[in-house]
Amino acid sequence: MTTNALEIPTKPYTGEKARLSRAYDYLILVLALFLFIGAFHLHVALTVGDWDFWVDWKDRQWWPLVTPLMMITFPAAVQAVLWSNFRLPMGATLCISCLLIGSWIARIFAYHLWNYFPINEVLPATMLPSALVLDVILMLSNSLIITSIFGGIAFALLFYPSNWPIFGMFHAPVEYGGAQLTIADLFGFQYIRAGTPEYLRLIERGTLRTYGQYATPQSAFCSALLCTLMYPLWWYIGKAFATTRFVKNI
Amino acid sequence: MMKTRKALLGILFLILWGLTFMPNTALAHGEKALEPFIRMRTIQWYDVMWSKDKLNVNDEVVITGKFHVAEDWPRGVPKPDATYLNVSSPGPVFVRTERYLNGQASVSSAALKLGGDYDFKIVLKARLPGRYHLHPFFNLHDAGAVMGPGHWFEVVGDPAAFTNQVKTLDGNVIDMETYGLANGIGWHAFWFALGAAWLLWWVRRPLFIPRYKMLQSGQEKWLITSLDRKIATVILLGVPLFVLGANAMTDRQYPNAIPLQAGMDQIEPAPSAVNGGLIQIKVQRTEYRVPARSLTIVAQIYNASDQPVQVGEFATANVRFINPSVGQPAPSDAEVVARQGLSVDSADPIQPRETRTLRITATDVLWRNEWLDGLIRDADSRLGGLLFLYDATGKRHIASISTAVIPKFD
Repeated sequence: MTTNALEIPTKPYTGEKARLSRAYDYLILVLALFLFIGAFHLHVALTVGDWDFWVDWKDRQWWPLVTPLMMITFPAAVQAVLWSNFRLPMGATLCISCLLIGSWIARIFAYHLWNYFPINEVLPATMLPSALVLDVILMLSNSLIITSIFGGIAFALLFYPSNWPIFGMFHAPVEYGGAQLTIADLFGFQYIRAGTPEYLRLIERGTLRTYGQYATPQSAFCSALLCTLMYPLWWYIGKAFATTRFVKNI
Repeated sequence: MMKTRKALLGILFLILWGLTFMPNTALAHGEKALEPFIRMRTIQWYDVMWSKDKLNVNDEVVITGKFHVAEDWPRGVPKPDATYLNVSSPGPVFVRTERYLNGQASVSSAALKLGGDYDFKIVLKARLPGRYHLHPFFNLHDAGAVMGPGHWFEVVGDPAAFTNQVKTLDGNVIDMETYGLANGIGWHAFWFALGAAWLLWWVRRPLFIPRYKMLQSGQEKWLITSLDRKIATVILLGVPLFVLGANAMTDRQYPNAIPLQAGMDQIEPAPSAVNGGLIQIKVQRTEYRVPARSLTIVAQIYNASDQPVQVGEFATANVRFINPSVGQPAPSDAEVVARQGLSVDSADPIQPRETRTLRITATDVLWRNEWLDGLIRDADSRLGGLLFLYDATGKRHIASISTAVIPKFD
């Protein structure tokens, strides 16, 4: 009797097979953990960069636009693999958790201990609420289209309100040097960054301000629209780069 | 033979170990990295001074100085419409508490005017003990960092004693070192715990191979249970509601929150300190003799002042060439100075209303050491700098000059 892909168990493994299968699970999980910590953290550092590094870069216009758009990428690709092949609705939460582990390691060791910045100046943003919702929308809908539309929108729209409880207090006003600043701005002025001059973060441009000072919702909805497009793009990238041919041979 | 190999391997290992774990202290901030024509013809620093160089934690040092924005700004460098007067330091070992440009408090970026004269003052408060090399410098948008003169500072004391308190417009006094940290960590820990719980909910059961096989055999319904769906529904409804609730509470807690500030300071140049009109200089020819590391400027100088004047110094890119035969304030030890580096072919002072053509020669190995001689291979082989002339009363006249440079390879 030969073993092939069609020889499929009608129930989960038991005994030695279960033990080996579980060991394989842990092997993959540990590898995935390190892979996503490294790869996703690098991706975010290169694309979101200063917006995630510094408290005085977390503006109301570009930060809520760029961050979800760049952070929905790996979650979509990993969801494509874990959901399509294993019905595991945890791709987004796994990726964002790994990203946060990497971010916190970098903030503590690189920014604080190595470069002396106070950690409160370099607090990372969180996307875990968005990731949880993205995972459950995929699970409950089992649909790429619905997840792209509603998951992508939720992922982007939840970003700013998720982070406002962390960063809102840094927007309290201060009078300093004859000007009104936020506490976040003051961090940028006081704690010297030779390589990131202040003019680089003067990024609030255009006329979104004229819409009754509601710049953030408009940026968030713009990001939501783009996330609905970015999600399926990265879903298919995940599908294209993933293979189950090794699993089939087991 | 084996012993030799082992010895070589041992040496190789020691070298690699040394390179990896015993890096040299970085003693520079890339002050020579920018092309010479940018360093010479953009921000021309002078009179940079420090109030002290030995400090305790929490002590303040005041850095003052002046700079002239060159008229002959390189065509290839964006105009200084967005610039930031910064301090080059190994991280925030000091905090910047005050900064002034032309006496005006300034916390943002500013545009500079070509030909403008500015003075500056920066107050730094020592935060971490150590020995640090600091420079004032200008970040120029799309051009890079133009360094001013550097100086070593020594900070001693207990880093835990550092305080940095600020009063908000709401009347709260906050400690910048810890403000918002516990709150931020708390929120991250909360969401991380929720995410970890969701991951563990799935990881606790058999994962990849059994689930794949079951999915392929059409047993998908066993992979997602009704309890899974209930929990997912709770997350779908609960997380957004919680997020919006926390957001609304934060809004109520900080009703006066404002967006990050995005304005730029408007700083007008000071009355002319350079090219003030009393000394007028036309450069006729400039040669750089490569082997001798010697620059000769042939310049026609008109003295419109009422006193005889002499050329005492030529300064460019923070290198000072001093004419020892002219009485002038002595440069400090910290500066990059060629103390005998400047000579003039005519020792007699230029009399009032006299026009004289002089050969001014600046010779020193600093042309090489400061990587300034590279300008002869630039696409923009022009030189800029400040000429300092003194009269018998000690009064100083400063002229910003600009000229093409012809290399001589003799």
